[in-house]
Amino acid sequence: MPENTQEGFIDQQKVLDNEEYSIKNTQSIIQKAVDWFRARSMFVLAYGTGCGAIEMPPIFTSRYDIERLGVVGVATPRQADILIVSGYCSYKTLKRVIRSYEQMNEPKYVIGLGSCTINGGMYWDSYNTIKKLDEYLPVDMYINGCMPRPEALIEGFVKLQDNIRNAKSEAGYIQYRENNAFYRANQEKIFGKNTTPTFEENFAGMNQ
Amino acid sequence: MIEFLKKHYEIVEKAPRLYKLQIESDKLVEILSSVSINSNFITLSQIACTDWIEDEVFALNYILTTKERDKNLMVEVRISRVHCSLPTLLNLYPQAQVMERDLHEMYGINFRGNDTLYDFALENWNEIPPLRREFDTLAYVNEHFDFRIGREDNKDVKAEVKRRKAQAKESKDGK
Amino acid sequence: MENNDNRLIKIYHGPQHPGITGNMSMELDLLGETIKGARTHVGYLHRGFEKLIERRTIIQAFTIVCRICVPEPDPNEENFARAVEGLAGIEISQRAKYIRVMVLEMARLAAQMLWMGGQSGSIGLGVVGQWSVYDRDLILDLFEELTGGRVYHMYIYPGGVRRELPNGFLEKLAQLLDYLEGRLLAYDSIFFENSTFKKRAIGVGVVNRDEALKNGYVGQVLRGCGIERDVRRDNPYLVYDKLDFEIPTYEGCDVYSRALVRRGEMVESIKILRQVIAQMPSEGAIMQKLPKHRKFKLPKEDIYVATESARGEFGYYMAGDGSEFIRRMQVKGPSLIHGFTLLENLLVDEELSNVALIMNSLGICPPEMER
Repeated sequence: MPENTQEGFIDQQKVLDNEEYSIKNTQSIIQKAVDWFRARSMFVLAYGTGCGAIEMPPIFTSRYDIERLGVVGVATPRQADILIVSGYCSYKTLKRVIRSYEQMNEPKYVIGLGSCTINGGMYWDSYNTIKKLDEYLPVDMYINGCMPRPEALIEGFVKLQDNIRNAKSEAGYIQYRENNAFYRANQEKIFGKNTTPTFEENFAGMNQ
Repeated sequence: MIEFLKKHYEIVEKAPRLYKLQIESDKLVEILSSVSINSNFITLSQIACTDWIEDEVFALNYILTTKERDKNLMVEVRISRVHCSLPTLLNLYPQAQVMERDLHEMYGINFRGNDTLYDFALENWNEIPPLRREFDTLAYVNEHFDFRIGREDNKDVKAEVKRRKAQAKESKDGK
Repeated sequence: MENNDNRLIKIYHGPQHPGITGNMSMELDLLGETIKGARTHVGYLHRGFEKLIERRTIIQAFTIVCRICVPEPDPNEENFARAVEGLAGIEISQRAKYIRVMVLEMARLAAQMLWMGGQSGSIGLGVVGQWSVYDRDLILDLFEELTGGRVYHMYIYPGGVRRELPNGFLEKLAQLLDYLEGRLLAYDSIFFENSTFKKRAIGVGVVNRDEALKNGYVGQVLRGCGIERDVRRDNPYLVYDKLDFEIPTYEGCDVYSRALVRRGEMVESIKILRQVIAQMPSEGAIMQKLPKHRKFKLPKEDIYVATESARGEFGYYMAGDGSEFIRRMQVKGPSLIHGFTLLENLLVDEELSNVALIMNSLGICPPEMER
């Protein structure tokens, strides 16, 4: 690249102005590396809340083999990065889902699987299932379909990896932390007195 | 064995190998005990309840199955919807416990003698039992949830159908 | 030191637990590793199907019926279709009957394959699941070709079946059957004859044979006790009375016997499917002429129908009321009695590590308990 000419200078300027190399982003290079690693190792807690659980065995076994993307199933919330809410949530389940989600360590992401997590799906007029999951938990990725095919699931995972790697949108757990009052209010609206305890309440219980 | 029962009770054959018997609710335990001793209809497959709100009754069908599992007998009792109460069959069939628990929650029927009628599927439910006909699930949903924009279900589609038909006719006439 | 020997610890096995067969929970009282009391909790999957069906016409109800049991939706469709046909007085063609038998047996094979993955996973044999879920997918591929759906087929409709067989479907099915029959030998060596599985399964989860018939147990629980009961033969529907098949039984009453019964059933399913391929009439309507959507009304009658699913008898009670809506449809799946009356007693005095093993061998499926 000729540096001493006008064109060369402009080219250099373009490189510096490019967001990826700009000085204001240099602090986040470590962050970028971390995000890249994060995207390549997703530990999944597949909570079988509904029908979607039946497509979990195929994608975790030899035919679709999602492990090649770095996605591995784990048993407990405390080890997991991703919570899959696989299908409709009844009241009783939603309460357990929220508890599982709150036990997970940050960073954490939620995948809503199936039409029924988006808008009620088949059970839009059922008295016992919730209609919009994102009112109660911050959903990072919805995968629609009833039920979604394994290919759709893999596509969803790849998209989520993209989002994590490029930090395209603000991650759900930050929203959950910052807008906690909104989520709590929605949870209290359907659970009433039986809402899961807040962090402070839990903590107060431990001190006694 | 069905011939023996036919001698004593008015049994109707509804379909091949499916029979029906209608009895009074106060004779329920007596008749079911005698059926289970005197015939081979020894096991209870299901207790099915139907809400006939226009007749003000619940119709409960106790579906009995033979030891050979080849014939089914539906024993129907009708009870009032208001003071709905029936004796439990726990002593005859242990599996009746969970079925009665289910019906207690879904219809509010009290089974006398069954002391395990606590929550089955619902948690902290304060409305009327959901499977009663007067419980309107759509009204309940509209009251407790709001739908995402773009999902305006249960609209009257007739107007739209009429409009489309007229449109199709117009385009046909135009040609 | 304080003596804690007799202190009971209460733990919840589920609903979020890798060893549970679906979204349900077992409340266990533990003394050390031994279970002293068990209570089943359901309701995590309650959607109020039976309420929803009351508000839907027949074709609308048909789409949600298959969702009652996720691993094996076809017996539900068959039950629903047969109940509506019984009430409306519709007789379906011979060809439709054969196609239905074919779909039901394919679904049974697929469900047994999935069960094999779950049962082996419950004792840590991961490879079996890797193989059997793959083989199940091959059956699902055929389903997809036939019905358009992988898991939910929505194929068996009152009056017959919804689509004609694709070209060359039966040949493909015959090829797949040959492949699966060969695979069964591989499963023998890795799973059914595996000494780990034998050590864990023999003598565990022993069902009391004397009360089995009286308490209404069905399916593999009965056949694993040496009692030969099968709805397909005792109360035959469709064309099962024209087909030649055996009912495998074993005497052990334990987890291992139930596994061998399922192994035998897979062989019988393949046998039935081969007969269906040979006997199926090549001509004939697959769908009867039905009334129009809003005029499809059921009389004020009631009926009970039962189908043999992969886990035992699946029964539907249905009542019509003269309108286009179904007044009442009540589902009785095999898990209702197995999950409460049987499982709560079976777990007492077992080890904690056997809970997942026993639940899988009974084939507990919560969506059909609470609908």
